Amino acid sequence: MARKMLIKALPASWNVEITQASNGREAVAAYHAGKADVMFLDLTMPEMDGYAVLETLQHEGLDSFVIVVSADIQPLARERVRALGAAAFIKKPVDAVQIERVLREYGIEL
Amino acid sequence: MLGEIGDFIVTEVSVGIFALDKTYNVLVWNRFMADHSGISAENAIGRNLFELFPELPQKWLSKKIDSVFVLRNFAFTSWEQRPYLFPFRHNRPITGGIDYMQQNATFMPVRDADGEVSAVAVTLFDVTDAAVYQSMLKQAMAKLEESSSRDGLTGVYNRRFTEARLIDEIGRVERYHHDPFSVVLLDLDHFKQVNDTYGHLGGDEVLRVVADRVRGVLRDTDVFGRYGGEEFLLMLPQTNREGAMVVAERIRFAIGSETVQFNDTEIRVTSSLGVAVYVPGSQNVEEVKQQADEALYASKRSGRNRVTFYEASQAA
Amino acid sequence: MTAELLLSEDQRDALQEVTNIAMGQAGARLAQILDTFVHLSVPRINITGSAQITQAIEHMVGSGASITAIRQSFGGTLHGEAMVVYDELGCRNLADLMGYEDDMGQAQERELLLDVGNVLVGACLNGVADLLNATLSFSAPTLIAENAGVDRLINTQQLTWNYALLVEVRFTLEIRDFTCHLLTLMPEESIIQLKNALDTFMDNL
Repeated sequence: MARKMLIKALPASWNVEITQASNGREAVAAYHAGKADVMFLDLTMPEMDGYAVLETLQHEGLDSFVIVVSADIQPLARERVRALGAAAFIKKPVDAVQIERVLREYGIEL
Repeated sequence: MLGEIGDFIVTEVSVGIFALDKTYNVLVWNRFMADHSGISAENAIGRNLFELFPELPQKWLSKKIDSVFVLRNFAFTSWEQRPYLFPFRHNRPITGGIDYMQQNATFMPVRDADGEVSAVAVTLFDVTDAAVYQSMLKQAMAKLEESSSRDGLTGVYNRRFTEARLIDEIGRVERYHHDPFSVVLLDLDHFKQVNDTYGHLGGDEVLRVVADRVRGVLRDTDVFGRYGGEEFLLMLPQTNREGAMVVAERIRFAIGSETVQFNDTEIRVTSSLGVAVYVPGSQNVEEVKQQADEALYASKRSGRNRVTFYEASQAA
Repeated sequence: MTAELLLSEDQRDALQEVTNIAMGQAGARLAQILDTFVHLSVPRINITGSAQITQAIEHMVGSGASITAIRQSFGGTLHGEAMVVYDELGCRNLADLMGYEDDMGQAQERELLLDVGNVLVGACLNGVADLLNATLSFSAPTLIAENAGVDRLINTQQLTWNYALLVEVRFTLEIRDFTCHLLTLMPEESIIQLKNALDTFMDNL
């Protein structure tokens, strides 16, 4: 459902192929498969949480633009994911306007 | 329409209703509040609650009210934690046995059109009756508990209760780093002969008198229980080896120094005692009891009518 | 169990996400109160028969644990009861974490447990209600277990329902031993209300 809500909120004009992962492990696998130029990453996940995914990616030289999408609105959560290399943090429930603004801010073509 | 009826109900209902803004100024003050406080709505509205009632616990109450504005959530107070907010008289001045009206309060966020909390509405319930019943119930329960924790013959604690106190005390030592406590096991010497010679009535009288004599030398904090037929267990909180040996010696002396009067005869009684200290972290209840028991056995073995402290070497 | 009580895969998924969002708000409140970082769990959702309720809760909070718990009723569009279950260390460390001195009285300690519980229940359930367009009101929290077993939470001898929905979220701290579980329980008729609300929520996505 989190994914469905997010996909609904992505800009309609954005021409991308979407790969879904239902936990951190699948996300890392998708990243390894070269499917994640931009990654929307939740923090609270089974198997492997978002922090662990960021750590793995950072360890491997982070070749992806990661936007954390989380319900965890503690300021410290935001700081931590930034420190782990996330480009942006969007709080749930996601809002289409905010996503578009973040993507444009980073010069991603929509 | 609802406005008028609503106003009527708020005014007349026999529940305290008032509302405050962010600076604790009174916005609504119903009749219940006015009647009980002696401050009319005209005199209350627009004024600061804490100026009207300087005796309110301001620091605590303002925090509670602030939390409703910030969290936009209900907040509550219960008489069980805080018997009352306002020092109101209650309607059981004769039979209540309680100083002020016991109160439960609910603090509710009042949201404006933008969803912001613009005021806090408070309902104040008189729960004096419930509090009176509850305290009666508690007294009854305490009595029941008390009677089920005592030994019928001697009036000292029974085995179950004594053991529970031992476990509690271990918890206190481990958790709050209280000083160690000592355990004393006491057994009357040749008690079987007393029973055989003077019958059970004689034996019972001896147990009663012994219990009284032991009680006479104990502190309020010491726990004294009957452990078996003629066996007693004492738990002496925050008492080391030296302290425990002094107490045990006094007990031995108190029991044996005089005879016990039974009908026309005088019964001579002596006791053997074993003492052990609970060492934090290294023992459990069973272990410390076992050690006191071994020390008691050593007292018996070496001639009775004496006190022995548990030494690890005895165990070997 | 009748099929009308079962959550579809989508409904379960939506409930999990709605709970996740709401618990984020509750977790942030707790972090604010305790001034430390709070870890949030993945919400667990379970429909359980009345005979298995204690077992189901034990499965979530740990069996044989000595717990302290508060409960609160909520009503409105959805109705049920919420519990905040503190484990032994959580209960002991709470006062400490909030900077209270050792010699806090028992009444104050209880008030603290009730207040923190109320904040968690309010933040989480109001969060769910906001997302589902529901309105809720709450009863005062009461202490239902103090250093007791999980079986103390619900008297299974006198239940008037057959099935209940149980949602659990867990808050843990990384600096100190502290765990508390927020359990939300709803009886049959409320499950049906919830399912409708979830469907509407998904339709509006």
